[in-house]
Amino acid sequence: MNKKLIESLYHELPDLVKNGVLTQEAADSLKRHYAEVKITSKKWFMFMLCGLVGTILIGLGIILIFAHNWDQLSRLTRTVLSLAPLVIGQGFAFWVLVKRQESSIFKECAATFLTLIVGSSLALVCQTYNIPGDTASFTFAWMMLILPLVYLMQASIPAVVYCIGITIWAGQFWNEPLHSVFFWPLVVLIIPHFIWSLRQEKYSLRAAILSFVMMVCVYVGTQITLGNGLPLTWFVIEPCLMVIFYLVGSYKFKRISTNWQLPLLRIGALGIFAHAFIFTFLSSWSSIRLWKPYSEADVFGLAALPGNIISLVIVSVSILMLYDFVKRRQLMPALFGSLSLLAVVVYFMTMAGTPNMLAVFIFNIYLFALSIIRIIFGARSNRLDVVNTGMLMLAILILARFFDSDINFILKGVVFIAVGLGFLLANIMMLKQARSQR
Amino acid sequence: MKNKIIISVFSCLVLLQIATPLSMIIKREIVLKDGVSFRFKTQPIDPYDAFRGRYVALRVEASRIQRPLSFETEYGKQVYAQIAVDKDGFAKISGVTVRKPDKGSYLPARVLYSSAKDTTLDLSIDRYYMEEKSAPRAEHLYRKYSAQNKKEAYIEVKIKDGFVVIEGLYIGDKKIEDLVNSEKQVIK
Repeated sequence: MNKKLIESLYHELPDLVKNGVLTQEAADSLKRHYAEVKITSKKWFMFMLCGLVGTILIGLGIILIFAHNWDQLSRLTRTVLSLAPLVIGQGFAFWVLVKRQESSIFKECAATFLTLIVGSSLALVCQTYNIPGDTASFTFAWMMLILPLVYLMQASIPAVVYCIGITIWAGQFWNEPLHSVFFWPLVVLIIPHFIWSLRQEKYSLRAAILSFVMMVCVYVGTQITLGNGLPLTWFVIEPCLMVIFYLVGSYKFKRISTNWQLPLLRIGALGIFAHAFIFTFLSSWSSIRLWKPYSEADVFGLAALPGNIISLVIVSVSILMLYDFVKRRQLMPALFGSLSLLAVVVYFMTMAGTPNMLAVFIFNIYLFALSIIRIIFGARSNRLDVVNTGMLMLAILILARFFDSDINFILKGVVFIAVGLGFLLANIMMLKQARSQR
Repeated sequence: MKNKIIISVFSCLVLLQIATPLSMIIKREIVLKDGVSFRFKTQPIDPYDAFRGRYVALRVEASRIQRPLSFETEYGKQVYAQIAVDKDGFAKISGVTVRKPDKGSYLPARVLYSSAKDTTLDLSIDRYYMEEKSAPRAEHLYRKYSAQNKKEAYIEVKIKDGFVVIEGLYIGDKKIEDLVNSEKQVIK
């Protein structure tokens, strides 16, 4: 049940008891059933928001002022300037840890400020000594120096900066698979904080932001680090990753569904639709056997081994999660999640030499079935949002096929007429059924 | 107890956060004090870095060397460029080795491009930071002087144990900052 609904139910309970609609025992057992909902005060939220925005702006302002690069300053002055804000930031964070240990607002703000200041002091040293533009080592040093802050101060903005930083770091080694694959151990370092933030119901917005950034970074990181630029990345690993996002978002960890689940669920579903939709075009498959790896390194050799193991883990996890949902008979998540299995099977079939048209046909049927089942599911459960998204998916698919120049007109025409007739027949049958029921 | 652990780990982090920029500074100060001076002919062009500010990108002429070398020069290969001085007093690469040289000044480098005729190395001398308005002026001045008087731009560096630190960028015999300032005064 939605958190807001429970909040309003709890709000109504005293009145219901007072007017004799519910007994006190019934009200208590309702509360026990749904458990306690921590109501976040708006004031607290505003404090957090203002504090964070202020800190981020000051930190960025300091970076910009240093970036001006004052010609007149001697090297000694610059050294002092690069270290002084760092010491101030550290002093502030230290004070918060000693005196304001309980205040999450103070901890988040102090950690965010220190995060930015560490970057600015490193940048100023680079500027003073004209250190070569090695973005990878600059970013790596910065991220390693801020990572402990995430855990010591239980702060999520440094975690967001860390996620973006390690993705930029991996991007510098896009053509060196043995180097870029270290992105994954670096991602693992932030996962305990991610899980912690998901458990803090009070911070649902914070968890949502972190989930969103993590998803984007892991997706971009996958493109950079796995599959070595071969179609495997695009056709198998990424759909499986989207399925993992979507299915994690579909799990109900607690009885109350919280906001944090939405970014995983929504972006996962959008990613699944986007991949499946692109696979419905013949042009996506036509050059699949001509792709060349990014680097000269052997795709299945030792250099590519760590990346290949991680890819295998991603694919296996997505298929195991799909199996779990099928076992629990959750139709909608299982249908969306089946993209992973479908992508693996169709990719290897096509690579083995089956016609590209077969792959196109399978994905058209898949998306068509997915949108129809979504519409039916929404209509049965009286959920207009589900019906509408199903209709939208179907409309996009139909429009794309109507204008698709890869398929000849006669075939398209015949399929459109057949599907149209199918709709009419289904309609007539449903009407008959409804009449007989009356 | 838990708080004590957090504070002691935080104290270690504080030291590490200060030690990192400080060690970068000290290492470079030692090179500036004890290193051997070289002048590399260069072309300055003005780009931008959101974090570190505006700089002039340097295209060092000496980084291109004649082939053939005695070993394969595929992209990204780590090599060592031995640095010597030519008859005009500018730095040049006198040899390229795969192993670290035992004596003389050298720089670690990576192979950037390789053709049948020559090989270009990345010598890690690629940017010179300037005040935000000075960097575009510096590029403009370089174009002006190199067209009119054939004055050459070069950077002065110090090298010690394979480590390089840039001291200054010059056009003719004038430091670029002085040239930009005198130009500003003429305009005023």
